[in-house]
Amino acid sequence: MRIKKHPILESLERKEVQITYNGKSYLAFEGETIAAALLANQIRILRYTEKGKAPRGIYCGIGHCYECRVTVDDERSVRACITRVKDQMKIISQGIDADEI
Amino acid sequence: MIICRCEEVLLRDIITSIENGAETLKAIKMETRAGMGICQGRTCRVLLEQAIAPYTDITIQETNNIMYKNPVRPISLANLSRSGKDSSQ
Amino acid sequence: MKYDLVIIGAGPAGMCAAIQAASNGARVALVDENPVPGGKLRGQVYKEPKSDWWIGEKIVRSMESKIKQLGVTCFLEREVWGIYPKWKVMLNNGEQLESDFVLIATGAAEKAIPIPGWTTPGVMAIGAAQVLANIQRVKPGNRVAIIGIDALSLTIAYDLKMAGVNVVGIYLPPLNAFSLEKSNPLKMIAYLSSLSHLAPNPMLKLLGKLGQIESVQKLGVNYYPPFGMKVWGIPLHLRKAVVEIIGNEAVEEIVVAAVDQNGQLGRKQEKRIPVDCACISGGLYPLVELANAAGCESVYIEELGGHIPLYNEELETTQSGIFVAGNSTGIEGAKVAMAQGELVGTVISIRLGFVEGGPELIKKAKEKVNLERENAVIKFHPGLENGRAKLERLSRIRE
Repeated sequence: MRIKKHPILESLERKEVQITYNGKSYLAFEGETIAAALLANQIRILRYTEKGKAPRGIYCGIGHCYECRVTVDDERSVRACITRVKDQMKIISQGIDADEI
Repeated sequence: MIICRCEEVLLRDIITSIENGAETLKAIKMETRAGMGICQGRTCRVLLEQAIAPYTDITIQETNNIMYKNPVRPISLANLSRSGKDSSQ
Repeated sequence: MKYDLVIIGAGPAGMCAAIQAASNGARVALVDENPVPGGKLRGQVYKEPKSDWWIGEKIVRSMESKIKQLGVTCFLEREVWGIYPKWKVMLNNGEQLESDFVLIATGAAEKAIPIPGWTTPGVMAIGAAQVLANIQRVKPGNRVAIIGIDALSLTIAYDLKMAGVNVVGIYLPPLNAFSLEKSNPLKMIAYLSSLSHLAPNPMLKLLGKLGQIESVQKLGVNYYPPFGMKVWGIPLHLRKAVVEIIGNEAVEEIVVAAVDQNGQLGRKQEKRIPVDCACISGGLYPLVELANAAGCESVYIEELGGHIPLYNEELETTQSGIFVAGNSTGIEGAKVAMAQGELVGTVISIRLGFVEGGPELIKKAKEKVNLERENAVIKFHPGLENGRAKLERLSRIRE
C-alpha cells in the first residue's frame, strides 16, 4: 500500500520504527500517523462500536469524526489519524478486541 | 442506514422520532441520541438538518440560532478541573 | 499566559496571520490539534495553469521555519474546547491562553452523504484519501471508487492516479434526502460547466461549455456514454449511482445502478464492482462551533458552505476581538485563506499599536484577498460571488 515513488512529490527519508497493534508487531515510519502505518500493513479495522460491535476504520482522516479512536499505551480514545507513531508504541483497538486482550 | 455514526442511530429511528412529534434538532437529539456522541455532531448535524427539512416549516436559517455549547470538544473531567490554571504555572 | 493574539488552527490562514502579526512584533500563540502545522494545505498538489506545481508541503515548510524564527509559541496536539470572555481560550489539557484578540481559523469539515454500508472500514471521506496519498504516502486502497462529483473529488481523483492508485470510476451518489443536487445528472453537467476552466480533458471542456445552455444539458445527459467518459483515464459516470457499499470487515464491492436524467434509479441493471476503498465527496462546510459557542452571531449562506459566523470587511465577528479567516469564513481555496490570514494579522497589529499607516495597509491587504479570489483556480461553489454579496449586505445591515 505504500507509495514509494511519486511523480511530483519528493521521496521521504524516514526512520523505521516498531509498533504493536493488538499484540502483534508491525513496522512503521517515524512521522507517519498510526492510521497510515496500520493501513500500510493492510489493517483497516481500528475499533468495534459499543452497541452493534461493528467494525470501523478511518473515516474523515483529519480528527473530526473520532471514528479511528484507539487505545495507545493505556490512554483511551486517541485519534489514530492525527497521532504519530513512536517506536515501541502499544496500540489496542477499542471494542470487542480490547475486551479480549 | 446509519446516520449518526457515533451513537449508531439509523435513519428510520430519526424518521420515527419526527413522526412521533420531534420538531426540532434538539428534540430529535434528545429522543434518539443522534448528534450526542463523541464527535458532537460534526458528521451528522448537517444530515439531521436535512432529514427534518421535509417535515417542518422551519428553515435551516431559522434552526440556526445554533446551540453549540462549550465544551465543543471532548475533555476529561480531570483536565476540566485543571482549567483556569494559567499555562505558565 | 497572556498573548497579543491567540490563533486557533495552524492551517494556511492561521499560519499567515501568525507570521504577519509576529513580524510586526506581536506575541502570538498558535494552537492546533495536529502534531504538525499546515492543516489541509499539506496535502495539496496541483499544476497551476500558467506556472509550476503548487506543492502544499513545501509552502508549509517555509512558513513553519518563519514561525520558528519569529518566536511564535506553538501549542500542537491541543484541542480548543471553548472561548470565554474576554478572551480566554481553553485547551483540552486544562491550560488556558488569554488575549484581547482571537483568530478562529479552524477550517472546514466534510459534509457526509450516507449510503447503505458507509460505515464499513475502507469507506472514507474524500479528504482522508488525499491525506493518506499526498501526506502519509499510503494508498487509501488499491481499487478505489469515488462517489460524488465536485472540484475536490476530481482533484483528488487525479492525486490518487498520480500516486499509482487504480481509480475504478467517479460515480454519482444515490438520490436521497442527503445527496440532493449531487445525485442529479442534469445539475452535475451544469456544475461541471462552471468548472470548465479546470478543463481536465477536452471533451469535458466541450461538455462544460455546452452545459451552460439548458436544452443542451438534457441532450448532453441523454447522449452521455453509458460506459462513462474518461477524465485523466478515470471513468466519470454521470448516469450511474453507487447505491450500496458491501463488505463485512472491510469494503469488498460497490453496487452501481443506472439513473435517468433526474437521478431517479432504474429498477434493473444493478452491477457489482469489486473495490477495497470507496471515497464519498459531499462537499465542505465551515466549522463554526467555537465561534457560535463564544456568542458570535451566525448566518446561513449556502454558496459559502452553510452556517458561517457573521463578519465584517476586516474579518471581525460580532464579538469584538474575535476574528475569522480561511474556510471558517466560507469555502474557498488556500490562497484566499492565506491572504485573509495576512489581513487579520495586519488589522490586529494596527489595533495593538505595533504599526502605523493603518488604513493604507488594510486597504492593500483587502485588495490581496480580492485578487486571490479572482485568480482562484478552483471555485468550490459556482455562486460564490452571490454568496459573498449576501454576506456583505448582512454585515452592513448589522453595523
